[in-house]
Amino acid sequence: MAEVGSHDYEYVEAGTINVRDLPPLDATTNKIMKDEFTTGFGLTVFYFILIFSIPVMNWFAPEFAFKKIWGGMTITWFVTTVVMMAMAFIIAYVHTALYEKRLKKYEILNK
Amino acid sequence: MMKALLEPKMLMTIALMGTIVYITYLTKRNATASDFFVGGRSFGWFTNGSAIGGDYLSAATFLGIAGLTFQLGYDGAYYAFCFSIGLTLLAIFVAGPLRRFGAFTVADFLAYRFHSRRARLVAVAVVLAISGFYAAPQLLGAAQILSMFFGTSYEFGIIFTCIVMIFYVGIGGMKGTTINQALELWIRLGAFIVMLIAAMYSGLHYDKILAAINSFSGPITGTSPYALDGSDINFDGAAWTGTGFYFPTFWQTISMTIGLALGTIGLPHILLRFYTNPSAKAARKSALMAIGIASAFFLLAVYLGAVGRSIFISGTASEEVMRDLVLGGNNMVIPTTALALGGKWLLGLVIAGAFAAIFSNLSGLFITSSGALAHDLYASIMKKDITEKQRVIAGKVAIVILGILYGVLGLLVKDASIGHLVALAFTVAASTFTPIFILGIWWRGMTEKGAIAGLLIGLGVSMWMIFLPGTLPSFLQFKIPGIVTVPVGFLSVVIVSLLDRKVPADVNDFMKRVHSKESETA
Repeated sequence: MAEVGSHDYEYVEAGTINVRDLPPLDATTNKIMKDEFTTGFGLTVFYFILIFSIPVMNWFAPEFAFKKIWGGMTITWFVTTVVMMAMAFIIAYVHTALYEKRLKKYEILNK
Repeated sequence: MMKALLEPKMLMTIALMGTIVYITYLTKRNATASDFFVGGRSFGWFTNGSAIGGDYLSAATFLGIAGLTFQLGYDGAYYAFCFSIGLTLLAIFVAGPLRRFGAFTVADFLAYRFHSRRARLVAVAVVLAISGFYAAPQLLGAAQILSMFFGTSYEFGIIFTCIVMIFYVGIGGMKGTTINQALELWIRLGAFIVMLIAAMYSGLHYDKILAAINSFSGPITGTSPYALDGSDINFDGAAWTGTGFYFPTFWQTISMTIGLALGTIGLPHILLRFYTNPSAKAARKSALMAIGIASAFFLLAVYLGAVGRSIFISGTASEEVMRDLVLGGNNMVIPTTALALGGKWLLGLVIAGAFAAIFSNLSGLFITSSGALAHDLYASIMKKDITEKQRVIAGKVAIVILGILYGVLGLLVKDASIGHLVALAFTVAASTFTPIFILGIWWRGMTEKGAIAGLLIGLGVSMWMIFLPGTLPSFLQFKIPGIVTVPVGFLSVVIVSLLDRKVPADVNDFMKRVHSKESETA
């Protein structure tokens, strides 16, 4: 496989194959993909539930969403502008930590 | 003349320009295309994380988010929240695999995945469309700052900024761009932190100012001399702190959330940054650092927008501040608030920060688009047998062409909102490259025809819904149409791929490359 970014790689004839005739991925790549996708997908579903809960709360439970909790700070203002900013980092941090953990596991298995 | 040069805003701006020139001079040696387009893949997670933050936190963040909050209240703050989602999704699904793939440009990904000239060509068109959408509001911000604080015309501001960018990116390439972006990020963060301290010192605590704004209703004293109809501007604080001020329905809010949340994954200038890391591990750490910085930035931007509104309704601000808040519109709240909080020196720092935001983001767009023109279009399709030196020259020529092109776009958007224009760029990216990258990395069944169909249909539908909303039934008219365009983009790729079924014979090798273990690729 030619180096990416070199002049000749992109038009090297690879041919095409019907996706049904495609041989299965090798076991290691398959496992890495499955593990990573499962983690990422799980975190994303969790994150999106949190994300969409804000407009749902604002539009369908406004009395709760716009209840003041601290001076003029409402629940929804606090969640939208403070909690969710921290949540973006927490989700990404958990993903990175789990990835590093999986890498160590693969290294142990290889040894 | 000398007195004018000693003004803090002039000193800070000159210091910033001098630093840019110095860094550009130090990094001017770009012997190979790898040096010019991806900085020799030599930047670690701290520099690259700062540069990603610098690239991502554009004028839309530094000026636009605070401006949107100032103008729209809660709905403006909700904008900030939506902008904050995307980098996290990018870190989860795309950052690591993209670095392991390790190309020069976004279009390389498609060309390599499908061995296809057509896919590369379509990708170039989409890169240029998104970059144009993104560059125009950055230039608008630059021209407005120059106009408001240095008295220059809007047209001069556009031309001046384009000339600076052509020099800065054309000579420094990705190396100079990355170091400048990293430095510029910290200038902006510093400006925001100083503003936070000044606001807190003035007693403008978050809870107190929100309470004051919420309870305000009626005319704002001191605004009549600058208002179009000559009477004081009326303001309803309760509506400002509630939702529905800008997005009138639940579905409008959801549509924007989808468009902005998924847009970052498809922004070419952000994707390109992950090619500059030395390893996939560094790419993930860079993304994490950029997310931390971005989250802090968005939090501060919303707070400072509320501070601006609080100062505006208080009736205690100087005539200059009231004038600038009325005439500057929603885009100039941060500099004006800085003037109110800390006088000329803080204003000087903020103006330097605003230029830093604009230069940083524009440089990312210039380098990405020059890669699309010079590497993807010229060196890979039109004239393949050129030397490394000629490829670098082609990159520099492309930057001059882009400077002219973006300059014209900047002249066309004089009265637009920075934050909203950038949001539209996000929506176009979410409907075009986002499906391609997510499906291309995780689904072997994506075919060349599916990818091209996804890009073209996603782009076409986005443009139609943005520019010709009047031709659509009312239930399909969205301010930010992500709820329609993003599913259309994904479905186009999936449906056409399922009908086509012809995948590249070496797709397993590709999957192995982008998902292999760290030690095999770093």
